[in-house]
Amino acid sequence: MTDTEHLALIHAEIDGELDARQRGELARRLLADPDARSMRDQLQRLCALLDATEEVEPPSQLRSRILDALPPAPRVLRRTRWSASRWQYAALAAGVLVAAVVGYETFNAPGPASTELVGTIGATRGRTTLDTVRLPSGPVAGRVSLYRDAAGHGLRFELAASAPVEVLVASDGHTLRAEALGSGAAPGAASTSIALPGFGGSRTVDLTFLMSGRAVGRATLTVPDRH
Amino acid sequence: MTEPDDATLVRSCLEGDQSAFAQLVVRYQRPVYNAALRVLHEPADAMDIAQSTFLKAYEHLATYDPSFKFYSWIYRIAINESLDTLNSRKSLSEIDHERADEAPGPDRQVEGQQARRALEDALMRLTPELRTVIVLRHFMHLSYEDMGDILLLPVKTVKSRLYSARQVLRDRLAACGAV
Repeated sequence: MTDTEHLALIHAEIDGELDARQRGELARRLLADPDARSMRDQLQRLCALLDATEEVEPPSQLRSRILDALPPAPRVLRRTRWSASRWQYAALAAGVLVAAVVGYETFNAPGPASTELVGTIGATRGRTTLDTVRLPSGPVAGRVSLYRDAAGHGLRFELAASAPVEVLVASDGHTLRAEALGSGAAPGAASTSIALPGFGGSRTVDLTFLMSGRAVGRATLTVPDRH
Repeated sequence: MTEPDDATLVRSCLEGDQSAFAQLVVRYQRPVYNAALRVLHEPADAMDIAQSTFLKAYEHLATYDPSFKFYSWIYRIAINESLDTLNSRKSLSEIDHERADEAPGPDRQVEGQQARRALEDALMRLTPELRTVIVLRHFMHLSYEDMGDILLLPVKTVKSRLYSARQVLRDRLAACGAV
């Protein structure tokens, strides 16, 4: 047997994977070779040291932090992945490209055709802003507005972030996701609008901002009573 | 009363029971956090990875194949998230340079706490691929088969990688008298 094969036998012995024949083979080698014995002893001590490493108790707030970051409606997860539209346009000041992918799904009705999900970039004529929330400086800055126009309700994002931002939009049993928002440009340098098909039964829209899958902020938009 | 198994909890969650997912979090937050901590060696990063791991699991729960073990699936997410974070950090060569300066010298007597420190230093100087197999085998005590499922590698490759990782660690710890 080669040195490599004997070395593999030593590792397999540490893992308790040798049969009787292999144990005999290794024993003969160890008797005849002090270097092999030294290697085996060192590997055994190493593995004992590794195995004795104690688990660390996670921070006590980890569980609540995970659960607080979950989207509000787990049943939507059962639905087929939503249809999507993609928008791209150049930012006015910074020349930054922003692409948004919007998906929508509901657990009470089939998802709408992708044509219903078209964003309304720049189409602001006849638009009434119902509520605006400003995001202070942080991982995501800027503002988000809830509006209504001839096509229905929608959200307008004017965000700046150091990395692409996902936004989960939850309202009245609907879940919508906008991806690849935020560009690194200054707030307001680029904006993206998305339609909210089916919106109307609820007075509030909850937003969760995610970066790399991690929740970095939340906001709620409210429809005024007169609307 | 017997606790529901993972498959039952996943099914309940997909039927709209968010408390079922909370039970999965309670069951796996510790190993997921520890796996990330051992790969990244940074508690704040491990906390972030644990959170993003469960969030991704939740979002993609409908794609989970119950014929596989749930813990293999969620550990795979955790390991991939950890490796992504490592890749976004400064280059390994820079880490190697800094860690090499911190490592105990060959003439230094290393016992007890010092042996553990030497081990942690040696672990952090491993490539991410080698460190990952050590974490899965010795810290999470997984079988070769489970490791293969998590890393999407054949068992033969898992063994080969594990043996290499141990050899590198042995060489480094032997050089400073820690084993």
